[in-house]
Amino acid sequence: MTSASGRRQSICNTLIMETENTKTELVVIGGSAGSLQVILEMLKKLKNGLGIPIVLVLHRKAYSNNILQTLLQQFISIEVVEIDDKTEIQNNKVYVVPADYHLLFENKNMMSLDFSEKMNYSRPSIDVTFKSAAEVYGESLVGVLLSGANADGVEGLGFIKKNKGKVWIQEPETAEVDYMPKHALLEVACDLIITPDNLAGYINQL
Amino acid sequence: MSAKKILIFDDDTTILEIITIIFEENGYQVEISETSHDILEKVSQFQPDVILMDNWIPKIGGVQATQLLKSHEEFRSIPVIYVTANNDIVRLAEEAQADDYVAKPFNLDDLEDKVAKYLEA
Repeated sequence: MTSASGRRQSICNTLIMETENTKTELVVIGGSAGSLQVILEMLKKLKNGLGIPIVLVLHRKAYSNNILQTLLQQFISIEVVEIDDKTEIQNNKVYVVPADYHLLFENKNMMSLDFSEKMNYSRPSIDVTFKSAAEVYGESLVGVLLSGANADGVEGLGFIKKNKGKVWIQEPETAEVDYMPKHALLEVACDLIITPDNLAGYINQL
Repeated sequence: MSAKKILIFDDDTTILEIITIIFEENGYQVEISETSHDILEKVSQFQPDVILMDNWIPKIGGVQATQLLKSHEEFRSIPVIYVTANNDIVRLAEEAQADDYVAKPFNLDDLEDKVAKYLEA
């Protein structure tokens, strides 16, 4: 008998094979409570000379300073950058969205910050960035949703899928807070279920 | 040998999450609090070997919270490391009667070294 997660895994792998010829240009990772453990594990294993940029949209306290960028930089030789308004996007960099701003993509070269209303009680909102990235990057985008306690990001993943991008979701059983990935798996057809151990490996292969 | 215990007072969940991961990976037992509410009860229950205290901890701030601990005979000997991004860190740590201080944003290795120093003593 195949478990539910086993069935999801096989569906996901099939879809990945169908889309593997598309060149990925950007990975956007969204997470909330419990996601930092996955991020740290990933950073330790990412290869240097990554051919793509990675953007992290993590729910944080509104008045956090640049502490997240400073702490994450201590785990990786690749440069970690806290995004400013009109930040140019470059390969082989990890970008962190600052606290209390939404992140938008103007085009494939430029990101901008936005101070409009909170979405899903969140700013930055993962949905806002996923949707904006999907519009700009289409099928060359990978959206990853990790551990978290609300549904922010789920609608955005659906939008990525609609724009032919790839959707990766953390295996809920490996998530410290499983609400966000569980909800995403119910709502969106995923391409891959990832775990804290294998996320970096999949990104390194892109 | 039982794990050394660290109690961290900080209202920034990002910091709490990362520090907890790092210290637990290194064999420490970590307890966190986003507020100084019931601080005496928390310290009494957990019996930490060292405390990290943020300056802006809600309820009563880090200075008062540390002073409160140091005014109680049973908690006075627990080392308190004061943590803040405030430029006035030396004065604040002194005023609080903290045993040491670490400036934010900190290097995780430096923080671990500082904690280890008090656990070896």
